[in-house]
Amino acid sequence: MATDVGSSSRTGRNLRAWGVAGLFMLPALALYALFVLFPIVQAARFSLFDWNGLEALDKFIGLANFERALADPVFLGAVSHNAFIVILSLAVQIPFALGLALMLNRKFRGRAILRLIFFAPYVIAEVITAIVWSLLLQPNGLAEHLLTAIGLEDAYSPWLADTDTVLIALFFIITWKYFGFHMILLLAGLQGIPREIEEAAAIDGASRWQGIRYVTLPLLGPTIRVSVFLSIIGSLQLFDLVWVTTRGGPVNFSNTMAVYMFDRGFVRFQFGYGSAVAVILFLICFVLALAYQRWVLRRDTEGATTYG
Amino acid sequence: MTSRWRLLSVMGVMALMFSACSGGGATTSPSAAASGAPSAAPSEAASPSTAPSEAAAPVTITWYHIQNNDPGLSLWKALADEYMAAHPNVKIDIQVNENEAFKTKLTTLLQQGDVPDLFQTWGGGGLRQQVEAGLVKDITADIASWKDTINPGALGMYQVDGKNYGIPFDLGLVGFWYNTKSFTDAGITTPPKTWDEFLTTVQTLKAKGITPIALAGKDTWTGAFYWAYLAVRNAGQAGMEKAVVSGDWSDPAFVKAGEQFKQLIDLKPFQKGFLAAPWDGAGSGAAAMATYNGAMQLMGQWLPGTVNANSGGSRAMGEGLGWFPFPAVEGAAGDPFDGLGGGNGFAVGKDAPPETVDFLHYLVSLDAANRWGALNSGILPTTNGSEASTTDPMLSLVLEGRAKAKFVQLYLDQATTPELGGAINEAVATLYAGTGTPESVAQAINAAAGQ
Amino acid sequence: MAEPTTVREAVAVVDRRAGPGARVRVRRIAGSVLRYGVLLAVTAVIVIPVVYAVLSGFRDAPQLAANPVGLPNPWVWTNYTDSLMSASFWVQLRNSAVVAGLSTVVVVLFAALAAFVIARREFPGRELAYTVFTLGLLFPATVAILPLLILVRDLGLLDNPLGLALPEAAFGLPLTIIILRPFFRSIPKELEDAAALDGCGPLGFFFRILLPLSRPALVTVAVLAIVASWNQFLLPLVMLSDAGNWTLPLGVTNFSTQYTTDTARIVAYTSLAIVPALAFYLVAERQLVGGLTGGSVKG
Repeated sequence: MATDVGSSSRTGRNLRAWGVAGLFMLPALALYALFVLFPIVQAARFSLFDWNGLEALDKFIGLANFERALADPVFLGAVSHNAFIVILSLAVQIPFALGLALMLNRKFRGRAILRLIFFAPYVIAEVITAIVWSLLLQPNGLAEHLLTAIGLEDAYSPWLADTDTVLIALFFIITWKYFGFHMILLLAGLQGIPREIEEAAAIDGASRWQGIRYVTLPLLGPTIRVSVFLSIIGSLQLFDLVWVTTRGGPVNFSNTMAVYMFDRGFVRFQFGYGSAVAVILFLICFVLALAYQRWVLRRDTEGATTYG
Repeated sequence: MTSRWRLLSVMGVMALMFSACSGGGATTSPSAAASGAPSAAPSEAASPSTAPSEAAAPVTITWYHIQNNDPGLSLWKALADEYMAAHPNVKIDIQVNENEAFKTKLTTLLQQGDVPDLFQTWGGGGLRQQVEAGLVKDITADIASWKDTINPGALGMYQVDGKNYGIPFDLGLVGFWYNTKSFTDAGITTPPKTWDEFLTTVQTLKAKGITPIALAGKDTWTGAFYWAYLAVRNAGQAGMEKAVVSGDWSDPAFVKAGEQFKQLIDLKPFQKGFLAAPWDGAGSGAAAMATYNGAMQLMGQWLPGTVNANSGGSRAMGEGLGWFPFPAVEGAAGDPFDGLGGGNGFAVGKDAPPETVDFLHYLVSLDAANRWGALNSGILPTTNGSEASTTDPMLSLVLEGRAKAKFVQLYLDQATTPELGGAINEAVATLYAGTGTPESVAQAINAAAGQ
Repeated sequence: MAEPTTVREAVAVVDRRAGPGARVRVRRIAGSVLRYGVLLAVTAVIVIPVVYAVLSGFRDAPQLAANPVGLPNPWVWTNYTDSLMSASFWVQLRNSAVVAGLSTVVVVLFAALAAFVIARREFPGRELAYTVFTLGLLFPATVAILPLLILVRDLGLLDNPLGLALPEAAFGLPLTIIILRPFFRSIPKELEDAAALDGCGPLGFFFRILLPLSRPALVTVAVLAIVASWNQFLLPLVMLSDAGNWTLPLGVTNFSTQYTTDTARIVAYTSLAIVPALAFYLVAERQLVGGLTGGSVKG
């Protein structure tokens, strides 16, 4: 109820609400429409053409690019890899980030340093991540040395070079790089939960674990749900790290949709086709986002419990 | 684009041009180059304004090249400075980018319609695409007077439909580099001359516990060299030209190439973890070879420099390295001395001022070529008569091989379109990753070419 | 007393000897040990690559190739010192900072304004607006680079930090709004009503009450925006020509050439490049610790 007592009619109130809302949203909307929506719409247009990026945009082919992508086993393989990463991220990354955030939320010495260290991987550029991890995991690298030192020599194998294990190894690197993002998000959320509530629960006889489960986590709910959403979308859009670490290889065994799109679209100069792949990726994310918004985030927008 | 956008883009281009003009003199993008060298701020061109006797109007040439480190960086700049001193009305605006960054940058420039006046090109299918889009100038007439000074085989790589669109300044050859120590340890006294001898060599090395071949599996173009060479041997010049030009890759020679490559792969000759090894840097194929974890590597003429850089300081440039040309395939249609290789060149933009071709001539003059050769940097100049300037013994071996070759096939992912090139690299990779067959490789390539 | 023969009897003996509450104490200690053990292991896995990256900068490429795992021997300072002493490094650092600063200020301010009304106001089309903003997250931005480039060029913003900052901010809007919305929602309505009673309009409430109370969230999105801008490569590559305008990621490309890559140099340069971003995070992190003081919120 933003509007004050001025206008009594419903339309009047709506207009008022729109007025304030519109004004507040205007800067963001203008910037967004100009630099995001407009280029995206243009790019989506390319998907209907056979275009190598250099000649004139005149070879209209309708949905042929889309048919080609959906029939390409390499693309379908990439989709399955993305799905795999999404599932693993939800099962591993989020709980991991949550656990660390909970641990780092309590005061103890060296907490600031630890928070910094845990965030550092996120800040490091993808190129360096790829270089460092390739060095660590290669034959005669640190991983092999460590395993040999504790007597597990046979456990080592060049995971990034093996088509069976490359996706999992890649996921491990992805987790290393991006869990810090979710961690600071959840930490920010934890900051918003006042001490008194947790203390009250303790006074009421709840153990630490019960306190977390029944008090902290529910209050952290909106943040967790945002984190999950971003994790899903991020996993689907995964590009930079995969590109510099494996380029989707070997032989497409660690391909993702965005890597496929960049390789076919940019590197191989088929911009129309690349745009079509981008549109497909967009549609997949869009459907998931809508579904998520409707069923999961709905309770956050309803406003009943958390709003005040 | 609607006419309004077109107007705006024209204004945008003009704005760009004016800003380039007002830059004043050659501006070399400073690079944080070799250690110890402080970066160069944009240098001043000392050229005075046009003397009264010169009535020529001022001209600016934008020049994009990729030799972003010394010694090439300085040499190009020196040549540009010399030209500007001799032609005071000409200003040369040098833009330097790293190899991969350049590809991206050029693509966006071309798409916007901002065609540079003089820019790096690798010839072949990539250049053809640019020509067909009307972005490159036809310089056949302009170079008629001096085109005979350039190595014809190299020049051919920068032709499209018989017309000249680019001039090469470098052409190298792919061949087998090997660690002489490994060969001696295995008791191998002469490098193999035929494919069967080569396979025997591999087996001998393996029996002695020496990794026979270093391969950079992550960069699929390295593995594609094997297949491409075998294709050149089996199909010969005629077969290769037919396939590249017509897009018909159904010749059984290509299946044969795959089968022969598979013979090698079945011997398991590569270093551990080769599928993830990049071609340079830590953990790379070059590093493997440098540390004797791979006796041979099929690679271009730049390998000695890379091995030296990756050798832990233990190997001077070219030390302990030998070179032999790709072996002959007995009974195959192709000439046993045919080569596979590629290099660098420059193309002229469609709106470039006429002085650009003259400047280009200066860049590939015999004197400039000799200076390039003397650097022994891996650039093998293509101006006739410059061969003697290359003194490095390793590079001289490669030059010899190049001279013997009547036909040099441009790397397949350059000769064909980027689309097909990528498909070829990927298809061949399935062979050494164990997921494809010789037939499936040829089929995949044929299918991609037909698209 | 007979010797304990079953585990239960043995435990009972220990209980009696150690006193009441001992088992709970032991469990608590064991729990702590486990917790710290896990923390240590996790920290190791996270830290080792980072330390490895920094240390690798002290070796040169040949060392890295010969022995990927060794300590620097000898310690090569030039990778770091050359970068620190080269003018271009500082120029690029400054450019990166300017662009990151601009884009962060713009994105946080614009997104906060928008998220405020999306979170706390009812108006027709609110959910639609939110969905429209999320769309930007769902489309791979690389594909839109060409139309974006033409647009920026037509606006005359090529080779200009604004030409980078504005698109970066625009593309950062979706994420920022998505993150800020639940935080803004959680500020109680009562505060707003109280402010209104005091004569504070929505703008006043926004600046004087909402923003200060949302500091953890704002700091978080600011850090994320800075990191995103700092590591951007494709946008600066295509929008900047004059090397005097280059940002740090572009500077790294000079350590690769057509035929070689100086890995150690790259690693050193980039390790240096992340220092400012991490420093900002440290400073910002103080704000996160601050948080809410009890009482002002839960009325």
